[in-house]
Amino acid sequence: MKSSKILAVAWENLTQRKLRASLTTLGVVIGIAAIIGLAALGEGFRLEIRERIQQGFELNVLIVIPGSFTAALRPPFIPQEVNSVRNVTGVALVAPLITLPQVKIYNETNQRINAFTVGAVNFSEMTQMVGERFIPIEGEIPGEDENDTIVLGYRACFLNETTRLARVGDNVTVLQINVSKTLRVAAILGKGGTPGITNFDNWAFIPTKTAVQLMEGEEAYNLILVKVSDIEQSEQVANDIENVFENPYAISVLVPIAFVRQVDRILAIVQLFLMAIASISLLVAGIGIMNIMTVSVMERTREIGILKAIGAKSRTVLAMFLSEAVLVGMVGGLIGILTGYGLSFVLSYGLSNFIQPQQQDTAFQSPGVQQSMAIRPVFSLEWTIIAFIFAVIVCIIFGLYPARKASKLNPVDALRYE
Amino acid sequence: MEAILNVQSVKKSYRMGKILVPALREVSFDVSEGEFLTIFGPSGSGKSTLLHLIGCLDRPDAGEILIEGVNVLKLSDEKLAELRLKKIGFVFQFFNLLPRLSALRNVELPLIIAGISEREAREKAKEIVTLMGLEARMNHRPSELSGGEQQRVAMARALINNPKIVLADEPTGNLDTKTGWEIVQLMKKLNQEKKQTFIVVTHDPHIAETADRIVYLKDGLIEAVKEAPRGNSQ
Ligand SMILES: Nc1ncnc2c1ncn2[C@@H]1O[C@H](COP(=O)(O)OP(=O)(O)O)[C@@H](O)[C@H]1O
Ligand SMILES: [Mg+2]
Repeated sequence: MKSSKILAVAWENLTQRKLRASLTTLGVVIGIAAIIGLAALGEGFRLEIRERIQQGFELNVLIVIPGSFTAALRPPFIPQEVNSVRNVTGVALVAPLITLPQVKIYNETNQRINAFTVGAVNFSEMTQMVGERFIPIEGEIPGEDENDTIVLGYRACFLNETTRLARVGDNVTVLQINVSKTLRVAAILGKGGTPGITNFDNWAFIPTKTAVQLMEGEEAYNLILVKVSDIEQSEQVANDIENVFENPYAISVLVPIAFVRQVDRILAIVQLFLMAIASISLLVAGIGIMNIMTVSVMERTREIGILKAIGAKSRTVLAMFLSEAVLVGMVGGLIGILTGYGLSFVLSYGLSNFIQPQQQDTAFQSPGVQQSMAIRPVFSLEWTIIAFIFAVIVCIIFGLYPARKASKLNPVDALRYE
Repeated sequence: MEAILNVQSVKKSYRMGKILVPALREVSFDVSEGEFLTIFGPSGSGKSTLLHLIGCLDRPDAGEILIEGVNVLKLSDEKLAELRLKKIGFVFQFFNLLPRLSALRNVELPLIIAGISEREAREKAKEIVTLMGLEARMNHRPSELSGGEQQRVAMARALINNPKIVLADEPTGNLDTKTGWEIVQLMKKLNQEKKQTFIVVTHDPHIAETADRIVYLKDGLIEAVKEAPRGNSQ
């Protein structure tokens, strides 16, 4: 018997028992829809998280800190150490940073400026290092020789949209314990958005020379920002940087991309886990198929006997019943995939609304920065194909037993069966 | 005439729980090509069992069956299926048509199984259905046909592959006398025109008598074999 004809006969057999066939198929539809829906949603969730992390980090900027969990705090980095880091292969750019947490800043009317941290930097280095986060909305980033200037982060300057503490050109007073200096506001930075290590909203920046004068001491850096030339080499470069120091364990190098990868990995595991649960529903559907087909074989015992009596081979009978299972798998798989797509849209809409935080601080929302989670389902051709094949395979596996039973029927017994 | 079928010391029992029920104790006979043979005997004498064994639907416990000199018991199940398809046509007491298919589609079924193209199968089926006088009824389902019509459809199906041997198990058992007689006459006609071998099981002595030869079966044994009493070959 031709395979095309076997398939046609199987299709006919199915469509003649519409209700039964649809209910059997429904099981497969639900299973596949669950798998596809969760895969698409999980993928979307993963991308969203990744994007959020990226907003808080510059992925190609490593952060070197003088201290670690395992060693006692060591003194800040000296210029020679910064130079050694600069010479590590794979390092494109280095920007050392002095943080002055105790510094207080007052504006012309003696109001306290809202800066949590004051960072002393080389402005041009910073611009090259984290350019996108170092763009002024007012004024200009000062040049190398412009000392006694200050750059304010967005929220250091603005209490809210209408209330500001300083303008470009104002003179502010910087007070470090008992040394004070008057600095000119050169620029105000744009809003950074998502919190993260390289979010400078609550920072103020002063030139390194000014900081040294304020501290009345040597240059000593609390942070080194390191831009790598190849992001894929981040871990290797971090390792090499550690080895530059006499005691590599006394310092830490934060590798944002490694963190992203780690989170990615965890989310992938969660996603797989969800899909494993979804697969259970497909197995249940498979058992349903086995059940229905076994009943069907019993009902059609006489028919099978007749077919064999007039010369159908066992494997033709097997193929006929298996084809029915395969058709259920294919039709159920296709409908399930489409349903899964729809389902993931509905779920993502519901989830996004559910996760949405209280709209605090809308006044501060700057354009282009998302405050709420918006999980968009992501469909991959790969998962779609895998799910489809999975559906067909499950149907074949569970259809095999009843189909074999049908093919092994003794025609004489089948013909006597009333 | 050459023997198309040899049945040699064939035995068959059925297991009913713990006891073995002998259906055929030891049966031997030959059938010549083109012969019209009837197997006659009371109910339970083993007629159907014998016919199923000849038709390769089942295997005997002992003995040999040769079709055109080939020992069929040595063939695999798949080969037996092929043999049934190409060399044997079956007609049953209860017609055994597929209830969901039209008469025409029932008739073309063996050709479809044989892998012949649908168009060719359809054409051949129409031809033979017409030969059986069922032209007007060919698109009806079995349930819409009379017993006689159903048996003609079954005959058409048995004959469509042009088999060497046609086996009929009480083909008139479910028909009134007149219709049954018509079916037998149709078989006789085909036997003479196409030289196909017919083996017809019956417990109707009147029908048994129409044969070239009658095999009398009782309790799983051949009681007697009688040549045509009235020279049925004409
Ligand atoms: N599948 C079976 N299982 C058990 N006994 C059977 C089976 N088929 C036939 N028999 C027994 O074998 C004997 C012969 O049956 P059968 O060949 O059908 O006779 P007939 O066709 O002459 O009426 C009977 O006693 C019947 O009960
Ligand atoms: Mg019988």
